[in-house]
Amino acid sequence: MADKAILYDATKCMGCRGCQVACKEWNDLKAEKTTNRGTIENPPDLSADTWLKMQFFEVGEPQDLKQLFGRRSCMHCTEAACVDVCPTGALYHHELGFVAYDKGKCSGCGYCVEACPFDVPRTSGSIVGIRHANKCVLCQDRITNGHIPACVKSCPPGALSFGDRDELLAAGSARVTQLKSKYPNAVLYGESELGGLHVMYVLQDSPSVYGLPENPKVPISSTVWQDIIRPVGWAAAGVVVLGLGLNYVIAQRKIKLKSKGE
Amino acid sequence: MTTSAKSKASSTPVPEVLFGPKPVPGEKLLPRYTKQVRILHWVTAITWTTLFITGMFLFVPVFGRAAQGGISTLFHHIAAIVVVGWAAVFFVLNLKGSIEGIKFAFKWGMADIKWAMAAVPYYFFGKEDKMPPQEHMNTGQKLWWLIVLGAGALMVITGALMMFFKGVIPQGAFMWAAAFHALGMVALFAMALVHVYLSVFHPKMRGIFWSMVNGMVSAHYAEGHHKKWYDEMMHHEKEAKGKDK
Repeated sequence: MADKAILYDATKCMGCRGCQVACKEWNDLKAEKTTNRGTIENPPDLSADTWLKMQFFEVGEPQDLKQLFGRRSCMHCTEAACVDVCPTGALYHHELGFVAYDKGKCSGCGYCVEACPFDVPRTSGSIVGIRHANKCVLCQDRITNGHIPACVKSCPPGALSFGDRDELLAAGSARVTQLKSKYPNAVLYGESELGGLHVMYVLQDSPSVYGLPENPKVPISSTVWQDIIRPVGWAAAGVVVLGLGLNYVIAQRKIKLKSKGE
Repeated sequence: MTTSAKSKASSTPVPEVLFGPKPVPGEKLLPRYTKQVRILHWVTAITWTTLFITGMFLFVPVFGRAAQGGISTLFHHIAAIVVVGWAAVFFVLNLKGSIEGIKFAFKWGMADIKWAMAAVPYYFFGKEDKMPPQEHMNTGQKLWWLIVLGAGALMVITGALMMFFKGVIPQGAFMWAAAFHALGMVALFAMALVHVYLSVFHPKMRGIFWSMVNGMVSAHYAEGHHKKWYDEMMHHEKEAKGKDK
C-alpha cells in the first residue's frame, strides 16, 4: 500500500491551534492547566496528553519582525530511532509508513523518549515506573477507516493536507519552488531526512529557524543494544549452556568411571 | 561418592535429590560461610533472579507483554534497591572482611594461570594431578567474584543513571547507559548459569550447595578442593589446641 503522510504548509498556517484542540478531542486527551508565560504558545511542551503543539517564532529585528508558525508532533520517520529502541515492539512501522503504537505492549521503559531525534514521545505515570509512553499515531484509527486525521480535518486555511506521500511530496516541492522567489531559504522538510518523514513541512526559512534539526540522525547508542548486544547476549548464553551441557555429559561419565576404578 | 549417592536415591529426601547429598552426620566439618554472608548470598540470589526475569521482558521481545503497564519495572526497581541497600549494610557491618574480599578479587598471579591450564581436564575428566592447591576461593570462584563486583558496579551506576537521572542526563548518555546495562546483564547471566551449574550439578562438587545453607563444609571436601585454606584452618586449630593446653 502506498505510504500516507501529512503535509504542513507553514506559510498557510494562521496559528489558530484548531488542530491542537481537534487532536485532544479525537484522542480523548486531558486538558492541562497552565500559567501565563507571556506567549500565546500553550501548553509549554508536548506531553503524554499533548501530542501536537503549535509554535510561534518571532524572527528578525523589531522594525521588521516576522512571526512564523511551526508545528511540533511525531514526524513518523522511516528510519525511526524510537522503533529501533522499543524493546517490546509497542512502537512499530505500520504498513502505511507511519510509526504506529500499541499502548498495550508498552512497558513504560521510556527508551523512545531518550532516542527520538525530534524529542517527541513522552511518558506519563509515577516515578516508580508504572507508566506509558504516548505520541501522535497519525490518527491510525481514522486513516485505516477512510477518514483523514483530526488535525487535518480541523485546519481552516488548508495548511494541513493528508494523502499519499508521493503526491504530497510533489505538491510540497511545487509550493517551495513557488515560494523561493519571495523566500530564498524556503525548503521542503522531510523529503529525505531519516529515510523520508511521513510528516513534511513547507517552510519559508531554514529548518533551524523553526527549531528543527538540520540533519537529524538515529544515534548509534540507539542501535547498539538491540543490534549488537542482544545477539551477542544470545550467543554468549548459548555458548555457556552448550558448554555446561557438554561438561555434564562428559563429567558425569568420566568422573563416575574414575571413582568406580578407585 | 557419587555412586553410593545414586544407590541410595530411592530413600533420599527430595531436597538432596535436587541439590545433592548433605555431609554425612558425624563427618568433620569446617565453618566456611558466616550467617551474614549466607544471608547476603540468598538476598542477592532472590533479587538478581527477580532482576533477570523482569529485565528479560525488555531483552526478549516475545515476553514484551509481560512488561505491560510497567509493573515489571516497579519490581525491577524494588529488587535493585533491596540488593544494593543490603550489600551496603553488609559492607558497613563487615568493613574489614569486605575490603579484604574485594582486594582478593583483584589479586591474580601464576597460580591462577596454573589453575586455568588444569581446569579443562579437571572439570571435564576429573584429573586432579595438575590442579594446584586452592585458597578459600579457587581461581574460578575468584573470576565469578570479580565479575560480580565489576559488572555489579556497572549495573549499579548505569541503573542509577536511568532510574534517577532520566531526563537530566543527555539523551545519548541514557541510551549508552541502557546499552552497558544490557552488556553487564549478559556477563552476569552467563556467569550465573556457570555458578549455579557448578554448585548444584557438577559431579565433583555435588552437595556443596548445602554449605551456603548451613555454613559448614566437610573437611574432606575442603582438603580436596581448597587445600591452602584447609591447611590454614588446620594450622589455626592446632594453635588453638596448643593454647588450651
